[in-house]
Amino acid sequence: MSAATLIAREEWRLLLRNRAGLIATGLLVLLILVASFTSLERRSAIAADRDRYQTSVDRDFDAQPDRHPHRMVHYGQFVFRPIAPLAFFDAGVDGFTGNTILLEGHRQNSANFAEARQSSLLMRFGQLTPAFVLQTLAPLLLIFLGFASVARETERATLRLMLAQGIGGRSLLAGKLLGHGAIALAVGAPAFAVLIGFVITGSAAWPTIMLMIAGYAGWLLLWAFLSVVVSAFAGRPRDALAILIGLWLVMVVLLPRALPVMAAAQTPLATNIETEIALHRDLLEVGDSHDPDDPYFNDFREDVLARYGVETIEELPVQYAGLVSIEGERLTTQIYADAARRQAAREARQNGLVYRFALASPLIAIRQLSMALAGSDIAAHRDFLDQAEAFRYDFVQRLNRMQAVLIPGIEGDDPRIAAANWRTIPRFSYTRPNPYDRIGALVWPAGILLGWLIAILATAMIAARRIERSAR
Amino acid sequence: MIAHETPPAIRIADLHHSYGAKPILKGLTLTVRHGEIYALLGGNGAGKSTTLNALLGFIAPASGTVRVCGTDPVAQPRQARAQMAYVPENVSLYDHLSARENIGYFLALAKADRGADAIDEALREVGLPADAWDKRLSGYSKGMRQKVAIALALARDVPVLLLDEPTSGLDPRAVLEFNRLLDTARARKVAVLMVTHDLVSAVDIADRIGFLADGRIEEEREALATGARFDLNALHDRYARAGVSA
Repeated sequence: MSAATLIAREEWRLLLRNRAGLIATGLLVLLILVASFTSLERRSAIAADRDRYQTSVDRDFDAQPDRHPHRMVHYGQFVFRPIAPLAFFDAGVDGFTGNTILLEGHRQNSANFAEARQSSLLMRFGQLTPAFVLQTLAPLLLIFLGFASVARETERATLRLMLAQGIGGRSLLAGKLLGHGAIALAVGAPAFAVLIGFVITGSAAWPTIMLMIAGYAGWLLLWAFLSVVVSAFAGRPRDALAILIGLWLVMVVLLPRALPVMAAAQTPLATNIETEIALHRDLLEVGDSHDPDDPYFNDFREDVLARYGVETIEELPVQYAGLVSIEGERLTTQIYADAARRQAAREARQNGLVYRFALASPLIAIRQLSMALAGSDIAAHRDFLDQAEAFRYDFVQRLNRMQAVLIPGIEGDDPRIAAANWRTIPRFSYTRPNPYDRIGALVWPAGILLGWLIAILATAMIAARRIERSAR
Repeated sequence: MIAHETPPAIRIADLHHSYGAKPILKGLTLTVRHGEIYALLGGNGAGKSTTLNALLGFIAPASGTVRVCGTDPVAQPRQARAQMAYVPENVSLYDHLSARENIGYFLALAKADRGADAIDEALREVGLPADAWDKRLSGYSKGMRQKVAIALALARDVPVLLLDEPTSGLDPRAVLEFNRLLDTARARKVAVLMVTHDLVSAVDIADRIGFLADGRIEEEREALATGARFDLNALHDRYARAGVSA
């Protein structure tokens, strides 16, 4: 057996005989399991609620009586974002962005302008999910188990005795890294088992789960290795502990919270009220279809009359108001889409700043990787909003076309079309995005985690050379 | 009697070493032959620990020669350490392990695993009660720990034994037992370099005593073959002149 393996085995034996270490490890493992099962339960309940509500609102929509189509435009449709299967593991932004939106005419859903999408939400302490436990609490446990790994040997002079047996600093550090690396993977094992169990039930794809496990394995190894290397540089265990707790506070608590605040200050997002006012101003600039002197809609009327080869609105084979609604919807949608694009660009600038600092706080990287794979990141939410908006536009324009085409044939002051028409309108069907379509969102966080691991191991090589000197 | 023509197990010649600007060793020269017990006495800061560090290859001296069984501990630390067993002043073993486990672990690290019987034999040799062998060291006295460390050194079965203040903190009876162990090592032709403040113990067991002062051996005395091995009073005077109380 190599010296490194012997030393690693000794670290495991020490852990097994250390009651405090065992209890702390057991508690964390228990927490991971509790988080997994409560999260699964919560996810199932939310998914069932959403299915039930969607079925209910769809039934209500279909049950609407004979009506003027424009009233149905304002009746609208509620859509519920189906929760991603892996959101049980990492709820991501799901809990903050909301998942229920009302699709109606003349306006995009307000979720597209929600302040809750500020970059800060990416970094909030979230619910008790396995991801939260692994990202935030597991590093603390690994620090607790590893801070004394080498410093203890230096302080108690067992290091001299070990080196006197003929082993080198490199073997010693390799053994400590191996020992604590294996402990880190063992700490993550229950979460990995839950993920594998999930994929076995067919609820997720193997490559996604394997990437998720690899990402979290890298994250846990990062903290285990960091603890060993800091322990090798620090002369005393208490110094190593102070340094590591400081690093945890900066990397896991401070930076992920301070950076979004910085990003928000650098690229502020408009508030909902500011957005509403700006949109209203833009809409007024386009024109008012009810104003007989409005130049835009006067030109539009002339174009319509010319297209149909008639002199007056009354001679049109279709309802002019319906055509105005179609044009109005096109214009307002364009204005809302432009505003949403600008908002998205500002959010992207905010997030870009935060992501750049993932070099200093790899928590940002593991969160991004985890959320992207779980389908609970901001991009997945935006994809939902985009699909919902495309559906809304189609839904509203179908009703507007019904108004233009069907209303002229109906007599009376309160023309209505048959309720059967509502059932011809398609229902929203959400196609979940493939995480691999946005490969960049997976590559950069994985690259940062890998870079951290390589940097820590390179530093370990320097520490190994110093170890023999510290034995004096 | 020691055969003087035998090549020395430890040879240090004209060794110089400084920590920063402070010179510690200033031309240290000493040899320890196989089967010889050499007591290196000196005051605080005389360079005793630096001498051990040089032999263990923990420091690279500025100049001079260090050889352990012909091997340079700086150039070939692993080969040199394979020839030595080292017992530190404050015996540093693992509290969560038993005596057997401690010895087994360190022997495995040294790639000198000779099986459970060899460990038991070493523990028996140092006189550690058998009912303590499987108890964790956290409940051991200093003397018992010292015995485990010596047992480890004996179980290594190497030609050179380095002892750093081996009798520090031991009661007189334990010192006596310890010296008998060194007798056993001498009989096995092990070269023992013992760095100590304990003049009485050195007189009792050493074949030669060297006084280290100001980074070099100022005087060496050899044990007489018959009668009193050393003149304790003379040695005490000499030791006191070096600024160290016996």
